[in-house]
Amino acid sequence: MRQLGKLSLYGLQALLYTLPFGVIFYLSVTPNLAYPHWLSTTFTPGHWQQLAQSGSGLSQSLGLSLVLALTVGFLATALGFACSGVLYFSRFRESLTRLAFFPFILTPVIYAVVLQFYFLKLGLSGSTGGVVLAQLFITFPFAFLFFNGFWNHRVKQMAQLVQTLGGNGRQLFTEFLAPYAKGALVTCFFQTFLISWFEYGLTSIIGIGKVKTLTLQVFQYLNESNVPLAAVSSAVLVLPPLILLMVNRKFLLKP
Amino acid sequence: MSFTVQNISKSYGAQPVLRQVSFELAPQKCLSILGKSGSGKSTLLKILAGLEPADSGAFLYQQTNLGALPSRKRGVVYLFQEALLFPYLNVFENIAFGLRLKKKSKSEIKKAVLEMAAALGLNGLEERMPEELSGGQKQRVAFGRALIVHPRLLLLDEPFGALDAHTRKEMQQLFLLVSQQEAITSIFVTHDPKEALVVGDQRALMQDGKLKLYTSEAEFLKDEQTGLPQEIAFWHERQAQNN
Repeated sequence: MRQLGKLSLYGLQALLYTLPFGVIFYLSVTPNLAYPHWLSTTFTPGHWQQLAQSGSGLSQSLGLSLVLALTVGFLATALGFACSGVLYFSRFRESLTRLAFFPFILTPVIYAVVLQFYFLKLGLSGSTGGVVLAQLFITFPFAFLFFNGFWNHRVKQMAQLVQTLGGNGRQLFTEFLAPYAKGALVTCFFQTFLISWFEYGLTSIIGIGKVKTLTLQVFQYLNESNVPLAAVSSAVLVLPPLILLMVNRKFLLKP
Repeated sequence: MSFTVQNISKSYGAQPVLRQVSFELAPQKCLSILGKSGSGKSTLLKILAGLEPADSGAFLYQQTNLGALPSRKRGVVYLFQEALLFPYLNVFENIAFGLRLKKKSKSEIKKAVLEMAAALGLNGLEERMPEELSGGQKQRVAFGRALIVHPRLLLLDEPFGALDAHTRKEMQQLFLLVSQQEAITSIFVTHDPKEALVVGDQRALMQDGKLKLYTSEAEFLKDEQTGLPQEIAFWHERQAQNN
């Protein structure tokens, strides 16, 4: 009886996890359905084929989102790690740490409106570089605060030990800091990648419709009531985070 | 060939930590510095290792001004109270760390590490990770990691302070043996007068940032500021009571 209850619980859990993906996949292989006709007898891979077509809006958005999220994730992690390390030894540490909370007091949309004036002045609006920079205004403070807890007296002593053993700045990073902080670096990259990947407010305002990421594309298809393409782009949207989650789990579960 | 420390001073704000510290240290000798917490002994070691700047003074070796060199070029290795083993490396890799930084060949590293592990009684533990070692074993590995790079000067900042009495005594004996074998010049900082007495060839007392050097073991034993005469008197009294 107990076994049966456990099995049912696992089954229910599996159903809850797979149901949203199942629905998205179903909607992506059916023609554009309209309420109340949600059940289809015809299925087509046509919407998915758009992904493979070079030059299609969907494939371009996927490529752009990947480049954007990877760049933002890498830059935010690297800068956050380096700056939090430098600031740990600075006497301005507390005031600058407080400053890092600022972007999270405002919502990304308000923040984007505040930033937009400067981006327009600098000619950065509507460019991929501008969107990368705008997203860094959120992800860099996040990474900075994330790594704030990493630096402590023990890390400082170990770094000093590496120096006295003859290690230069590069070796300090490659032989000690990088392997010691590997788990934290991977987790931070994963989180900043996700922030960038799903970012909507800042991207739409700073990108002024010219930088069409996959997240923006999903919203556009939904506004156009193009359910199959919205479903395809949603399915693709959750894929990289799922892969990263698996990689991250492997890293985090490692002893 | 000796090390010369000349008039090193250091203050944190208005608070002086070291006042005109000077001494000479002959090669292959150990200077033990006894001092209470906050007396300035760790600050002195950090200045000699190049981890903190001095306000004034010089640190010389032969004709070289070591004080002007960056930490990594001084050949002065600092051994902390905690073993600080790299948790992602096993015993072999931890001992080999300094040689890898110096880009020695694999065969050279293997030979040197196995010899060092044998000298420190770590044979058979080379594959173990730091969390699988006892406190004494960890300190042996840290000791091996420092010695394998053949430092000009080894600085030991209460390295056995966290160990139990028995292991501490064992480590003191091992330190004396290996120091002799490897012809190490060292400065050993401790708050334990007995340890200062056992490990040092030369002895000194650090008090309020001033260093007092003793010319002989007898002088060190007689000085009440070390706490040793009081301790000897205590044990004599206990013995008399028991008899």
